[in-house]
Amino acid sequence: MQFEWTAEQDAFRHKIRDFLHANLPDDWEKFSEHGPASPALTAFAREFCVKLAEAGILFPHWPVEMGGEGLGPWEQQILSEEMWIAGEPRGGQYMNVNWIGPTLEKYGSAEQKARYLEPITRGESLWCQGFSEPDAGSDLASLRTRATLTDGNYVINGQKIWTSYAGLADTCFLLTRTSDDRKKGITIILVPMDTPGITVRQIPSLIGEGDIHEVFFDDVTVPETARFGAEGQAWEIVAYSLRNERLGIPRFTLARAALDRGVAMLQGQGRFTREHVRIEAARCAALCEAAGTANYAVVQKRVDGLAIGAESSSARYATVMAERAVCEFVVEFLPEALAGASPYLKMHHQRGIVAGVAAGAAEIQLNIIASDVLELPREPR
Amino acid sequence: MDLSLNEDQRQVLDFIDSLARPFAGVPLHDVSLALESADLDAQLLENGFLDVMAVEELGPVTAALVVEKLARLPFAVEAAASSFVRPLIDAELPRPLCLVEEGRVTGPVRFLRPGATIVVVGPSGVRSFTADDSMIAPAQEDTLYAYPVAFLTALPDRMATHEADPAQVLRAWRVAIAAEMAGLLGAALAATVTYVSERKQFGRPLATFQAMRHRLAEDQVMTNSVYWLALRAAGTGDPGDAALALLHAQDAAKRVCYDYHQFLGGMGMTLEHPLHLWTYRLKLLTAELGGRGEQGLAAATALWG
Repeated sequence: MQFEWTAEQDAFRHKIRDFLHANLPDDWEKFSEHGPASPALTAFAREFCVKLAEAGILFPHWPVEMGGEGLGPWEQQILSEEMWIAGEPRGGQYMNVNWIGPTLEKYGSAEQKARYLEPITRGESLWCQGFSEPDAGSDLASLRTRATLTDGNYVINGQKIWTSYAGLADTCFLLTRTSDDRKKGITIILVPMDTPGITVRQIPSLIGEGDIHEVFFDDVTVPETARFGAEGQAWEIVAYSLRNERLGIPRFTLARAALDRGVAMLQGQGRFTREHVRIEAARCAALCEAAGTANYAVVQKRVDGLAIGAESSSARYATVMAERAVCEFVVEFLPEALAGASPYLKMHHQRGIVAGVAAGAAEIQLNIIASDVLELPREPR
Repeated sequence: MDLSLNEDQRQVLDFIDSLARPFAGVPLHDVSLALESADLDAQLLENGFLDVMAVEELGPVTAALVVEKLARLPFAVEAAASSFVRPLIDAELPRPLCLVEEGRVTGPVRFLRPGATIVVVGPSGVRSFTADDSMIAPAQEDTLYAYPVAFLTALPDRMATHEADPAQVLRAWRVAIAAEMAGLLGAALAATVTYVSERKQFGRPLATFQAMRHRLAEDQVMTNSVYWLALRAAGTGDPGDAALALLHAQDAAKRVCYDYHQFLGGMGMTLEHPLHLWTYRLKLLTAELGGRGEQGLAAATALWG
């Protein structure tokens, strides 16, 4: 067991930091207040990700046969950490390299790979994830957006909600219902967002402009070849991609960076002297580091080529605890931070409060831990 | 970064499993508040399991794994101080080792008995002496803690002084207790999970009620975190990591001790169920080194000055 990074891993981290230093504008922190899904940051990311691709650090963790360098899970982790701490200058494109690309490679048709992988590797495409519906949030399997196969085309009708990036995305990774068989009746369709019949409406939010949308599908027609995987295979594919997604965002690193920033602000004003403030800050640091090691234990399983199971839910919940603690620390001891005094801490708060909701509610993670980590007898349905 | 057990570590843990098998259960009809076994202690010593830190290919992470593993037993073993602190001071010091803070010697001292080595750590340095009857209050028959404890009535005028850096000893002490608490937390969680999975009310196992499932799941998250933070603190040797690990362990213990006795209901009040053998060790360890607040202050100083 070894808790230090290797020299190569440290060098890789420094390479990314150097790149960020050279390529982020001087007013980046203020700029990143726009949020990863905003038009401003999305436009920035379209240029930034092209540069990342040119520098070979857009997807170095992908296998060589996919055009990556095959660097492995630790390097993916380091890359994600550095990007997330910097305020995620890749915008929504982080999803491309974390799970959309690998999921396309594993389940996509030859035509889909040819069409979608290359723009991802050039740093030019933006996806959205059409999962939640007004009546299907945590209970995702009750979704109702219907896709009906008629004369070689799917005709899609229904509504999605809380969809990130929908306003500017090129393509939607859409979950539809093709039969009434609950989980086995769900099918993925890759839908270009400029297809007639799609209406996107932004919902004002606490977490920044452009982040949350309603998406309406009215007789949206796509060819049968837009189906991703087989009819009814969505649940298996989503389980695969969500496992990557849960590991994908190293939120605990931003929480820790925000905590350090908050402490530095307090120190600068001579306010980091009282014992209760120092103790509370240490509690937050313990929760951040706890989440970090729990996440690293999951990454290790991937390094060892083992299947990632319910322990990723445990790591994810640890992250939620850390995010919550740091958000509360800032509000309690630096209330001015959310009122303009610190763009960075405001940015952290807006991303931190998402932790317990995005990619599956925290309470669903607790259910998974109870059933699959602790192996408690299941609740009656 | 490599969080897998290596082959040596796997072997050590397997050896301990087989050695400790006769001690894995509570002796039938034993309703003691604390359990100790001289036989287990002797076997651990004889096989060198309390000395792994000094073995180059094993080191402090393996020592933490050993301490964690042993804490899962219903028997209280003086492993933490011997494994982590003794090698820093003098590997030949007679066991058990009792760690006390200078200026804070009035609390219950674990494993204190005639012949034990008392290590006093503080601003004056690291000093030690061998305890005898004259300085120990009569054995505490009425303790609730699942450790053998006694009180020091006086410190001797003369103590042996050691060259060890008190800050390093303090760091190792925190790691040792965090590792011990990780094992106690793991065993207490496992015992509770078994009970609520079998105990039926309203026609179904208690564990099927979400009120309990969610709290147990949160307890698992904290228990898992304490394990990893303790191992990391052992591995990095960083004083901040050590303080964070013990802080998190003491935070976790406070929460789960309440939860687990609550979930066991009436059974959690009795000595018929062994839960107290882990939780009433955890409770005493929440007071170790001044408790959570002091670990918090130590961590804050280490992290941010």
